[in-house]
Amino acid sequence: MQTFRMNASFLPAFMEALKRWGTLVAPVERGAGTYVLQAIDDVSLARPDALRTILPFKKLLLKPRFAMLERRDGGRTEEVFDNDMGPIVYFGAHACDIHALEILDLIYMTDYVDPYYRRNRERLTVVGYGCMPDEYCFCESLGTETVERGFDVFLTPLGDRFLVTVCSARGDDIVRANPELFEPASRADTRDYLKRLQEREQSFSLAMDVTDLPYVLELKREDPVWDEVGKKCLCCGSCSMVCPTCACFNVVDERPELGRAVRARTWDACLYRDYATVAGGHNFRADRADRVRNRYYHKQEAFVREFGKPSCVGCGRCIENCPTGINVVEVFKYVRGEL
Amino acid sequence: MSVVIPKPFVPRGGPRELATGPNPYLPAPARIMRAADLVPDVRLFELRFTDSTLADSFTFRPGQFVELSVEGVGEGPFSLPSSPTRRGVFQLGIRRAGKLTDFLFNYLSEGDEVGIRGPLGNGFPVERLEGSDLMLVAGGLGMVPLRGLLQYVVDLRERFGRVMLLYGSRNPDAVLFREELESLARRGDVELHLSVDATQGKPWSGRVGVVTELLDEVVCDVPSTYAVACGPPVFYKFMLEKLVAMGFGRDRIFLSLERRMECGIGKCGHCAVGYTFTCLHGPVFSYWDAMNLPELIYT
Repeated sequence: MQTFRMNASFLPAFMEALKRWGTLVAPVERGAGTYVLQAIDDVSLARPDALRTILPFKKLLLKPRFAMLERRDGGRTEEVFDNDMGPIVYFGAHACDIHALEILDLIYMTDYVDPYYRRNRERLTVVGYGCMPDEYCFCESLGTETVERGFDVFLTPLGDRFLVTVCSARGDDIVRANPELFEPASRADTRDYLKRLQEREQSFSLAMDVTDLPYVLELKREDPVWDEVGKKCLCCGSCSMVCPTCACFNVVDERPELGRAVRARTWDACLYRDYATVAGGHNFRADRADRVRNRYYHKQEAFVREFGKPSCVGCGRCIENCPTGINVVEVFKYVRGEL
Repeated sequence: MSVVIPKPFVPRGGPRELATGPNPYLPAPARIMRAADLVPDVRLFELRFTDSTLADSFTFRPGQFVELSVEGVGEGPFSLPSSPTRRGVFQLGIRRAGKLTDFLFNYLSEGDEVGIRGPLGNGFPVERLEGSDLMLVAGGLGMVPLRGLLQYVVDLRERFGRVMLLYGSRNPDAVLFREELESLARRGDVELHLSVDATQGKPWSGRVGVVTELLDEVVCDVPSTYAVACGPPVFYKFMLEKLVAMGFGRDRIFLSLERRMECGIGKCGHCAVGYTFTCLHGPVFSYWDAMNLPELIYT
């Protein structure tokens, strides 16, 4: 890891320079206070300090819907590259996003590697940007409030300058190709950086106790809390769609025109009624309460057992977007008997 | 007889590839060599990969499954009722239950091509079963994967002790592989115990009643026997505890489970139960492992 300083006024020039590594994608303000990740040419549109885009970066790796395979009558089934995004520079990733990226990699880049994910992932450049939490952020509780790996370059704003952290050979390329933008970081820069970290730690207002959570959940499987959350939940799947680590998908076969068959893949959510329905009609999770419980258990128990950490990064999107106000932090407090 | 079957794997190892190709979502074409109804609405398809290298090298563990697809119609998981001891072709026992299987039954016949991905899942722990007596317990369509194991055991008969097959069906017309099973019984390879829920006026010499009652018919040396059970959810509900009551250790009972295996490679999430992906860590579990995953059996 290397550190540099960049003058704040160089930010537009830096973003222009990033375009050499791919399509620049950054948070852009769509309506008052709502942000979306989109490809930009005009760098002045970027709002890297925006905390949460409506949809997270996962859409840059796996489109909400894309064709995987295609077959023309009389021909063979072939891979299609509908999901290919080309090289992308994701500008404005926060620490939680970068942790989420690592979780998606655990799912898609291990064992049977997913070729559709891999093609975009290997060409993704990640440029992080330091943030300040709001009332929905609880990344600190999950240990995802800082990152040491998983990005190429990370900018931490320090008033009139940035502390620039380089964490990959590609990040190193970016710095070396633009020497006029960077200078060595000074003691004052690192001092101010640490001061900022302290300020940031103190500004979290939401916290979730994850101590022994997998074991607590194991004991609380039959707790009535799940029926109560199940009564409140509409099973609309919003929380899964906006979740940076929810990556379930459905496969559908279609004949868009005569003589052509397509196998497409769409985002799916375990909260949807037919998620666990098998041929013949048996639904292994017919009750809403079962589906809600499954989602929380998958995040905080199952994923921990399989991969050693929870698949929640505390970004707060599910809290902000739930139409009935279900708050994951309160759910777990309730499970522990604290509410 | 020497048989090459894939080693049991550690889930989430790798990187690894399916026998059917480096893109795990891309099926390899296979031709239907034979298709014959076992009973009404359950058809046995015999398939061979059109790529002859793949056809000759394709092997699997009894209890594994494949995804069969017809592009433009759909894809679904099917267990293999054949054994890797018989190379070049493999079989699928398919019940008509939805859009894809309707298409298979109505429009596809010998000579047509389908797509196959696999083999998928863990399969039965055949190395562990060797040297022991086996009690195979099937309910309904659960006979399909067990027939693969049975064929394997029969082909390597000297490696196994007593083989008991307890198999319950709805009625005499629904018994799968009946002639074959009876012939194996006559040869002395298998001790066969059949039951039906009701005779519906058909001739029947076996037991009439629920399949669990068959356990009362057999006398076996429980400590040297492994039980392998396969059937619908309601079957497990009564069968497993009865086996435990007979003295079987929960780690000496294996079962094969059905879930919605869509991708087959632990990605899509549909078959996940707790930290287990049925398609990847299963579909075969010991009863002990399955009962510690609360949703796995009794849902």
